[in-house]
Order: sequence, then structure tokens, then C-alpha cells
Amino acid sequence: MRKAFLLGLLLLTTLLSAASLEVLWMGWPKDQVLPLIDEFKKQNPGIEVDIQLVPFGQLFQTIEVRLSSGDGTPDVYIVDGPNTASYAARGFLLPLDDHFSAGEKASWFSSSIAAGSYRGQFYSVPYGTSSAGLFFNKEIFEKYGVPLPEESLEARMTWDEVAELAKKLTIDTDNDGRPDIWGLVIEQIDRPYLLFPLAQSLGAEVLSPDGLSATGYITSPKFVEAATFYWRLFNEWKVSPQGVNDSAIAREYFGTGKAAMLLGNEWNIVRMLKYPAIRFGLSPFPIFAGGTAVTPTGSWHVGINSKTQKQELALKFVKYITGKEAVIQWYKANGVAPARPDVYDALPEVFQHPMWQMFLQEMQTTAVTRPLTPGYSQYELILREAFNAIHYGAEPKKTLEDAAKKIDRELSKYK
Amino acid sequence: MKSYKKTFALTAEFAILAAISMFFILPILWIIASALRPSGPLYTYANPLTLQTFFPVSITFDNFIHIFEHLQFGRALFNSLLVAGSTIVISVLICSMAGFGLAKFTFRGKNLFFIIVLITFMVPFESIVIPLFVLIRRLKIDNTYFALILPAAGNGLAIFLFRQFFSEVPTEILEAARIDGASWTRIYRKIILPLSIPAIVTVIVMVFMFQWNSLFWPLIATHSSRFEVVQVAIASHRATEDTSWANLFSSAIAGSMPPIFLFLFLQKYFVRGISGTGLKG
Amino acid sequence: MFRSNKAGWFFILPAFVFLGLFKIVPIGVSVLESLRQTTYSGRSYFVGFENYVYLFFDDPAFWDSFWITLFYSLIVNPVIIIVALAMALLLNENHFFTKFFRTVFFLPTAISFAVVSVIWSVVLDPYYGLANSFLTLFGLPAQPFFASTAQALGCLVFLNVWRSAGYWMMYFIAGLQNIPDTLYQAADIDGASAWKKTWKITLPLLSRTFSFVLVANTAFNFLTFAPVYIITKGGPRGSTNLLMYESYKSAFVNLDMGRASAITTILLGIILVFSLFELKWTKAGFEY
Repeated sequence: MRKAFLLGLLLLTTLLSAASLEVLWMGWPKDQVLPLIDEFKKQNPGIEVDIQLVPFGQLFQTIEVRLSSGDGTPDVYIVDGPNTASYAARGFLLPLDDHFSAGEKASWFSSSIAAGSYRGQFYSVPYGTSSAGLFFNKEIFEKYGVPLPEESLEARMTWDEVAELAKKLTIDTDNDGRPDIWGLVIEQIDRPYLLFPLAQSLGAEVLSPDGLSATGYITSPKFVEAATFYWRLFNEWKVSPQGVNDSAIAREYFGTGKAAMLLGNEWNIVRMLKYPAIRFGLSPFPIFAGGTAVTPTGSWHVGINSKTQKQELALKFVKYITGKEAVIQWYKANGVAPARPDVYDALPEVFQHPMWQMFLQEMQTTAVTRPLTPGYSQYELILREAFNAIHYGAEPKKTLEDAAKKIDRELSKYK
Repeated sequence: MKSYKKTFALTAEFAILAAISMFFILPILWIIASALRPSGPLYTYANPLTLQTFFPVSITFDNFIHIFEHLQFGRALFNSLLVAGSTIVISVLICSMAGFGLAKFTFRGKNLFFIIVLITFMVPFESIVIPLFVLIRRLKIDNTYFALILPAAGNGLAIFLFRQFFSEVPTEILEAARIDGASWTRIYRKIILPLSIPAIVTVIVMVFMFQWNSLFWPLIATHSSRFEVVQVAIASHRATEDTSWANLFSSAIAGSMPPIFLFLFLQKYFVRGISGTGLKG
Repeated sequence: MFRSNKAGWFFILPAFVFLGLFKIVPIGVSVLESLRQTTYSGRSYFVGFENYVYLFFDDPAFWDSFWITLFYSLIVNPVIIIVALAMALLLNENHFFTKFFRTVFFLPTAISFAVVSVIWSVVLDPYYGLANSFLTLFGLPAQPFFASTAQALGCLVFLNVWRSAGYWMMYFIAGLQNIPDTLYQAADIDGASAWKKTWKITLPLLSRTFSFVLVANTAFNFLTFAPVYIITKGGPRGSTNLLMYESYKSAFVNLDMGRASAITTILLGIILVFSLFELKWTKAGFEY
């Protein structure tokens, strides 16, 4: 009886003292996320983690509303890499330099650390990263007698070569005047993420060094030249389909043999497993003739609310979830590219694959992070609308000039 | 001769309805067929068009089993049912009362109240979400079921609908009841409500659909996965990085069953002539 | 109509409390927000009508969006109401198939919008969609649908009709149940045709339901957001950039709450004016 009473008391006290950490997370499938959380709870008995999985379509609005209430919750939240500056500038993120030593920071790719920093301070811990390349459907190439691109960094194709291939492989099989196989599909048709490298490969800058003005940058002749090339793909050569503005649909086109090439992310190595019929290869992200090789990078980060009441606990969780063991598990569950080199070494059976080796090389040599600006989301949205309009046939120069004006007006708030 | 004509009219009506219904049902059949197939590419059966587009050859329930066993879809269903059910109880009561007040009484402030009722469904939820969030934090009901139920309980659209229906109830009946000494609450319970079953049924469906479809507010008002609602669970399957068609379709179909069954069940209350006493107001 | 302050307030009080607390207070805050501007650091200050002045005189994006929204609403409203009313009239009598068809028409409303958007993206896919498979089957030219500035708004109307006609049909069915059978019996004795009965009895006696659906539907359509947000993102080239999406972008991307609230307040004003006009018109148009 006495024993039961004491046990009860013990249970009660642990319940009362059980610290609960509030985490706002991206809406990945529960069977991928929850095992990681359970593992954390197992390692830290007595700690509760209250995790909310928010669908991607509602994620950023939810973060905005929750943070704007300013009461210190959620304690930990997922941060899209380029939003780091915006949250940091508004005081929503706990500065992390005091909590992560230089040695600890060296665990991640330097480009990822840069993406998680703002004005010299480290704010968001990399959770994953990304790269992109040109996937191609071997069957379509072979069927129409077009030699396969070489799958090596040394044989990086120029955009003109890609356009030539795309013209040959845009095929109207049933002669109804409309292509049934497209030469090239772009996974994210209007995302600056995937399209900046075109301009950057010509040497264009995409935003002023202080991150606050776009005129003269996205309106530069080189940027316009890249945008004009993009315009031609859809409007002059008609080798890419207009209106495929859903990445899932773009993957469907490529995965089911409706497109010969896909300019897309590294995750397609895993995503394409859903399409057992396809045999595909990977050519590095193309460049313009005479230009430099540039690839996109960046992905999710993890941040701590600057007003959290549970800083120690939050740090513990963040260090766990971005640590080597958890990221290994996360890769196995989700297939997104890890931002830690040690994870690549730990899973040689996966990452020795030539495609992963190519992406790994790109991440370490040619990757350029998206510009650091507190107004990234405004900047991105206006550019997305501009790229979208260009792919639908809007005049590139004029469209970019209008976009630059709008961006400058939005960014002037941060001056 | 007459019955021959009638049969012909009925057949014609059936044919017209069948033709219209194709347009509603075919896209949904495609989704159902996709959910019953082993998970795979989306376009395989969508193009070219065959009978298989709408009718799967080999049926599997694996996708449905998966969302319930591994993605806790049952919990989301339970939460949404609880929230919708509780809201309906409060809503039908307070909105029908207000509808009665508006339909049958003149009182000071009536026009103002009616304008308020109209305004409440003319403002997009997105524009009141921040102040509403601040409010429920003040009331200390954030991260509870109350946060999901109470803000939706007062429903301007439902009040408006009740007002329209109650206006049809002949005033003479109420006058007669008054003369017999009935109190207003008794008249409301014994005359108004029983005469308005179609209106009540309609409001039940209205409030249910409103709560069933809510997506943004539950994400703001609660932050524990134990409060996850149906639309959040469904929408989670779509993201830039990955979309699981099988999970998306099977959860959407499972999630559409409760409203469909509710509508099917409540139809028996769409009965003609309860208030059709011939009296006109 | 009974004159009684006490009874009147007794019946509206519970709803008044709920609406006041959870709707009118937040709406008031939002309207006041339209008179303020907020810096990115969260400091907010009063600016009077500056946000409105800017919208009206300096913001072409607002006007483009305004005209598109108005055009969209003026088309989608009557179409939905006519389709919903026609379906309700066809399904008014109780035959063996009535319940089945009512449920079929109601199906699209019951399906999560996350999936409705996928359905129509795939059905209306400009290259491999089901709709184009059908069109070419009948020898008609394939269409670009959402990928065309000329057709995207039309597709949005179509999608909205498909999704919500069955929902509004439900209200008409409920309204039809309230019409006394005796009136039809009397008309039968007079030998009135079905057409005449519809025009002389059904429609006039449906006027209260009709004005409800009209007003509610007007509000819903002016506030259309999900299909724009999920499917078109306002494109192609701004052709589906409805005001709600414009307001959303201001609120959650540009962090410009002043402009966002000004837009939704203007929307509220427009809807209110339309509704009061509609309430007047339905009373005048269907005398009985």
C-alpha cells in the first residue's frame, strides 16, 4: 500500500516535471518523422515532445501567425533555408554562435552553414540540403537514335547542346500536331531555386550584395539573356510544355515516359523508384558556353524561437535531430540529401552510387546558395510570377524590369 | 395514354440526370480507382483513356490499411467528427434561436444584428485569423478542442437560413398559441422547430461541412498532433519534394465518407409537407 | 411579426455573444488594421486612409485583380445558381432514383480540396488530360485549359460549379419541401402544365430560399481562394489573380497587413452592397 502510494507520488512528480517541448515541423509522413521523435524521447526520459506536422501548403502562413503572437512558442520550428534572414531580422530566431562551436559547425557543408547565417551570426541549423541535375530517360534516347549524354562532371553539357537534344526528342508520335514526348521538363517551372543557376552560369548576380535591391541585377543583360533562353524553350522551340507548374506532375511526365529529360532535384534518385519502368541517367546541371558551372543548393533548416522558455531543452532537441545518427535515419526514411558529409561516409552503400557522387561533388564545388535577404519570400514570389509569365510567353526584359521595380519597393522596407 | 406519357417523362428525366451525373461522378471514379490500385504512377491509367481508367482490374485495400495503421488517420477522423458533432449541437441551438428572433420579432437593434449576421460570413477567415488566435490565447483555450469548436459555433449563414425558413411559418399559428397561453420558448420548441426539420437538417450539413473542411484554423489553434484534423492529415500528403498519390487519394476518399453518409442519412428528413398545412403567412 | 424587445433579445442573445466575441471583435481588429501600417520589426502605427488611397490611386495590381474578381463573380454566381436550382427541381419529386442522384451531385463537395485540385489538374492537363482525350475522341481540337490566359478563369468557374453546385442544390431541395402540396393539387385540378406550375407556384414560393442562396453564394464566390492558391497561383500572367489571393500575398508573403486588411475590407464592402441589393431585388421580384 505504502509502496503503491510512493510509486504514485513518483509518477505524479515525474508527470508534473515532465518538460514538454513544442515543435512545429514540416508535414512529412508520420511514419517517417515519429520514429525519430520516439528515439529522442527514449534517449531523454521524462521529456515530452509535442510535435505538429504542418502541410507544406499551409506551413509558412502557420509559422507567421504562430511567431507573430510572440509568446515563445513553438520552441523549435522548421525553417526553409532562405527564410533564415527574414526570421532573424525580425528577432524570431535564437542566435546560435554561443551554442555551436566552430568544430561543431564544421560538421555541415559550408554552403549550408552560410545559408543558415545572417549578418555573421549563425541562426538555423541545416537539416538537409539539395542539388539538381539533368535526368534523362535512356529508353527515349535509344529509341530515337540519339546518343546518350555522358554521365560525368567532365562532360557537362552546354544549354545549347541541351536545347538541340530537346528539339530532337520532342516527338509527335501520333501525328496530331501536338508533341507526345517533350524534350525537356522543368521540375519547378518558376522557382528561382532552379532557374538562378542559368543566369549565374553567365556570371549574372541575382541581388545586390546588401540583399536589398534587384534593379541592375535581375535586369542585367546576362540575366535577361538567361531568361530569354528560358523563354525560347517554351515559346520558340516549344520543346518544354507550358503550364506544368506542379512539381509532382512534372515528375509524373518524366517518370511515365512523357519527357526525355528532366531538370530536377537530387531527390528524384529516390522518387523515380515509384516508376519501375523507367531507366534513367544523370548529366550534370548544364552551363552556358564559356560560362562557369553553378548548381542550386539549400533545403530545410531548424531554428529555435528566440523567446523560448526552454532553451536548454530546445538546443538538446536541435542537436539531436540534426545530428549524425538522426540524419542517417532521416535519409533512410525520406531520401532527402543530408547536409552533413559524415552521413555520406556512414552510408557508402547508398552514396557510392555514381549519381550521388556527382551530386556530392556539385554540392562541394559548384553549389551557390540563394541570396541572403530578409525579404526573401517577397523577392521569391515576385520572381516566381515573373518566371511564370516568361514561360507563358511574356517578353523577358520588360517582365524582369517590372519585377525588379516591385522587388525594390518591397525590399525598401528593410533599409 | 396518360400513364404512358408519365413513364416517358420519368425515363427522360432519368436520362437527363444520368447524363449530368456522369460529369460529377467520372472524375471521382478515377480517384477511387486510383486509391484501390497498388500505389504507382498517376498518369498510367489517365492517358490514354480506357475502361481501366475508372474501374481497377485488381483491387487492393493496402492504401487504406496503410493510412490507418501507419499514419494515424483514424485519430484525425475521430477529432474531426468530435469537433463537427459538438459544433452542430451548439450551432443548431443558438442559430435557430437567433433565426426565430429575427424572423418573428421586431425589437430594438434588430437591423444592426441582422447586418452583423450578414457581415460574419462576408469576411475571409484569413483576415481574422491573427486576432482570433490572440483571443483564444487570452481565453486560455488554445490547444484544446474548445478552440476548434467555439469560434465556429456562432454561424451567420445558419442564422440567415433559419430566418428565411422561419419567416415561412404562418404567424397565425403563433398568435393562436399565444392566445392559448403558450410561452415563447414553448412555441419555439413545440411549433417552430418541428415545422422546420428541412432547415435543421440543412444547417446540420452546413455546419458539418464547414468544420469538416477547415484546414488553416486547426493548424493555428492547436499545436499537438493529437488534435490533428482530417483536412490536415489529407493535405500533408502533398509537398514540393514528394506527393504520395496513394496516401492522398485513399485518405481523401476515407475522409469524404462521413459527409456523404451524413447527407445520405439526413435525406429522409427532406420531407415535403410538414409545414404544408395550407396556411399562408 | 411580434413587437417585443425582451423576447427578441432573449432569442438572439446566445448567438450575439458568440458572434460578437469570435467574429465581430476579430473583424473589427482587422478593419482597424487597414488603417495602420506595420514595419518589418513589428512596430505598427496609424496612417488613416493611406492604405486605401494607395490601392485606389497607385496600385495597378489591385485594379487588375479587382476587375478580374468582379468579372469572375458576375459569371460564376448565376451559373452556379441556375445549375443548382435546375438539379433541385429535377430531384424534387420522390422517385426511386432521387436519393441516389442527390448524393451523386453532392459528392464533389464532400471531397477534400487538396484532391479536387489534383483531379482537375490531371483531367484538364493540357497535354495528357482526360478532358482532351474526350475532346479528341469526338474529333474536337485539344484545349490548353489552365495553361491559357483566355481559358484559365473559365476553368476556375467550371471547377467551382462542379464543386459547389450540389452543395447549393441542397438548400433549394430543403426550400422546396416547404411548399405546400395543396397548392400543386389545386393547380392540377385547374389542369396547369408542369412548366406553368414551376413558374407560378414553385419559383415564387422559393423566393426566401432563393435570396439566401443568392446572398451566401455571392459572398462565397467573392472570397474564392483555395483553387487560385493551389492550382493557378494567380496565373497564367495574372489572369486568375482574384482579390483574395492578392490579399493573401500581402498578408503572409509581403508581411503588409495594412494592404491585406484594406483589400479584405473593400471586399466586405462590395459583398455587402451586392447582398443588400440582392435582398431587395428578391423581395421585389417575387411578390406573393
